[in-house]
Amino acid sequence: MKAALIGAGQIARQHLACLKSLPDAKLVGICDLSPAAAESAAERFGVPAWFVNHREMMEKVRPDVVHVTTPPTSHFRLAMDALEAGAHVIVEKPATPTLEELELLAGQAKKAGLHLIEDYNYQFNNATQRILQLVNSGEFGPVVHVEVFIALNILGPDGFADPNSPHPALGLTGGAIADFLPHLASLAHLFVGPHRTAKSVWSKREPSILPYDEFRGVVDGERGTAVLGFSSNAQPDAFWLRVYGERMQATANLFETRLTFDGPRNVPKPLRPFFSGLDEAKAIRRAALSTLLRKFKGPGAYEGLWEFLARTYRAFAAGTVLPITATEVIEVNRMSDALKPREPAS
Amino acid sequence: MRALVTGANGFLGRHVVAALRMRGIEIRALVRPAVSLDALDWPPSVEVFRADLRTSRELESAFEGVDVLVHLAAVVSGGEDAQFAGTVVGTERLLNAMARGNCRRVILCSSFSVYDFSSVSRTLNEDSPIHAVPDVYARDGYTISKWWQERVTRQISQQRGWDLTVLRPGFIWGRDHGYLSALGQQFGRHHLVIGPLTRIPMTHVENCADVFALAVTDPRACGKTLNVVDGPGERIWTYLTDYMRGNGQRGWRIPIPYWLAIWTVRSAFVTVFRRATKVPTILIPRRLESRLKPLRFESRRLREVLGWKPPLTYDECLSRTYEPISLHTETRTVGSSVSS
Repeated sequence: MKAALIGAGQIARQHLACLKSLPDAKLVGICDLSPAAAESAAERFGVPAWFVNHREMMEKVRPDVVHVTTPPTSHFRLAMDALEAGAHVIVEKPATPTLEELELLAGQAKKAGLHLIEDYNYQFNNATQRILQLVNSGEFGPVVHVEVFIALNILGPDGFADPNSPHPALGLTGGAIADFLPHLASLAHLFVGPHRTAKSVWSKREPSILPYDEFRGVVDGERGTAVLGFSSNAQPDAFWLRVYGERMQATANLFETRLTFDGPRNVPKPLRPFFSGLDEAKAIRRAALSTLLRKFKGPGAYEGLWEFLARTYRAFAAGTVLPITATEVIEVNRMSDALKPREPAS
Repeated sequence: MRALVTGANGFLGRHVVAALRMRGIEIRALVRPAVSLDALDWPPSVEVFRADLRTSRELESAFEGVDVLVHLAAVVSGGEDAQFAGTVVGTERLLNAMARGNCRRVILCSSFSVYDFSSVSRTLNEDSPIHAVPDVYARDGYTISKWWQERVTRQISQQRGWDLTVLRPGFIWGRDHGYLSALGQQFGRHHLVIGPLTRIPMTHVENCADVFALAVTDPRACGKTLNVVDGPGERIWTYLTDYMRGNGQRGWRIPIPYWLAIWTVRSAFVTVFRRATKVPTILIPRRLESRLKPLRFESRRLREVLGWKPPLTYDECLSRTYEPISLHTETRTVGSSVSS
């Protein structure tokens, strides 16, 4: 499959590094409004052609797949152009600022017999996949509830709250936190399915240019319930995923490699906490080492993106079901939309 | 003559503004929108133009009536992508805005980091090789950004037929910026001094600013690339001693021969780290070399082309960096002695 990228910023580097390693993908072009950004990415990753106009790129290199890795407010137009040029689209989250735009893109993809795939990379992190395996094998028991909570300081002056240059994500409903909603919603969807109802609370704890710095959501899903959260103020940075099954429970920090399980144990009940504690301590010690080692090499917390792309290109090559389906993209976006604030920030 | 100075409120920028003012150059200072200028005490004659090179749409108007661009702005903190966006994409946007006006002269603040220290033996000067593709991408974010900034500026200047002067300062030091990465590795109060007798390619901020002001006014600088160092440089041990004394620091200084450090790091790199690039800079051989390789550094071309001699001696620089200075002295600006 011939792959091309639009947008040569931070996340593009992960896509490019991964694509370069995939036997089923061949990088054919990269485009960015900045010639230097496009050319440097092409030089670094051995991409044979670079462009500053995405339409020209699609006309010249005729990609089978276009990765849209620009800021979210430009996704709709670029993804639509790529679909109209006959390419499958892998778009970074959030796919579009509004659900209406997403549905238009999905409609266009369906009409043209193409795929529109949004990147839900944390679904493919090792920890998430190990929990999922236990769920699918039946060992975990049916999932009752899932908690997904990101604590991340996004109030620093170098990122979303840069007072000199407004971050594009601030244009989203919900502001910078909306940039993370697809991560939360996609993990909730993975374990409890599409939402039936969803309620949310958006608030602001500290003065900043962000419209909100705290978010909590409660979801009643088809297979269970979910509580989602994002805090710009709680520290240290962490990405907690907790899954509660009828037989087991799992806790993971997706920014690290920490993953612990608790479940049935063949010991007298009073001794259960003791042995659970020993097992948990062992798992955390192991994770401490592997988190340190992965800092030296490899994609780090982006391991899920690499896995997601590898599976997607394998499925493209084999003509099998993609790891993220059109239905899932629609359902995750509907959940995100239902959680967004209805009132403008005060 | 009117100069547009980007990064004018930065460590080097504020001294360049002072040096230009002393030469009677009118100044338009380009600073970011949210930056406070209260501490700078600029007179009304310094015209402030607020813009962010990454996103502002009004950059073109910054060049109205400007004869020379002194481009100092660069992002030196944050991740590699933030530095590239701020330094390189910002430069592209700035120069494209300049191309729509009448200004035809650019002085670029580049850096010693563009040189490929690994390929240099004995003496590093303006003829020494700079990084090549793709090796440059194995370097740190600052190096990649400065290397690309120079590349973009040369490219656009050549296309437009502008007069370009590229100045490549070594380590710039001065008040509140005494610690240099060339000093080795700091552990709390203690210092691992790698190659204690190695000389540092250094320039005091006021001497460095003087070169920029001189390049603005002296047509002999047009089309030249010049390294900016005050001289052969102090030895790491000497400078660290002065730094610690100046800051009242007490701690151990543990000397390690450079050859031992580079051998150890190279061995670790091919065995333990297996060419990983995410380890600390000091553990990556090529990055260690760019900070600490023992070389001779020359300012010969700067002397030959512009007849420049540093206006401040090392001892004067030390006192201006570390001694309590009265307001009068602090605002006093130095001027170079120039022979034509």
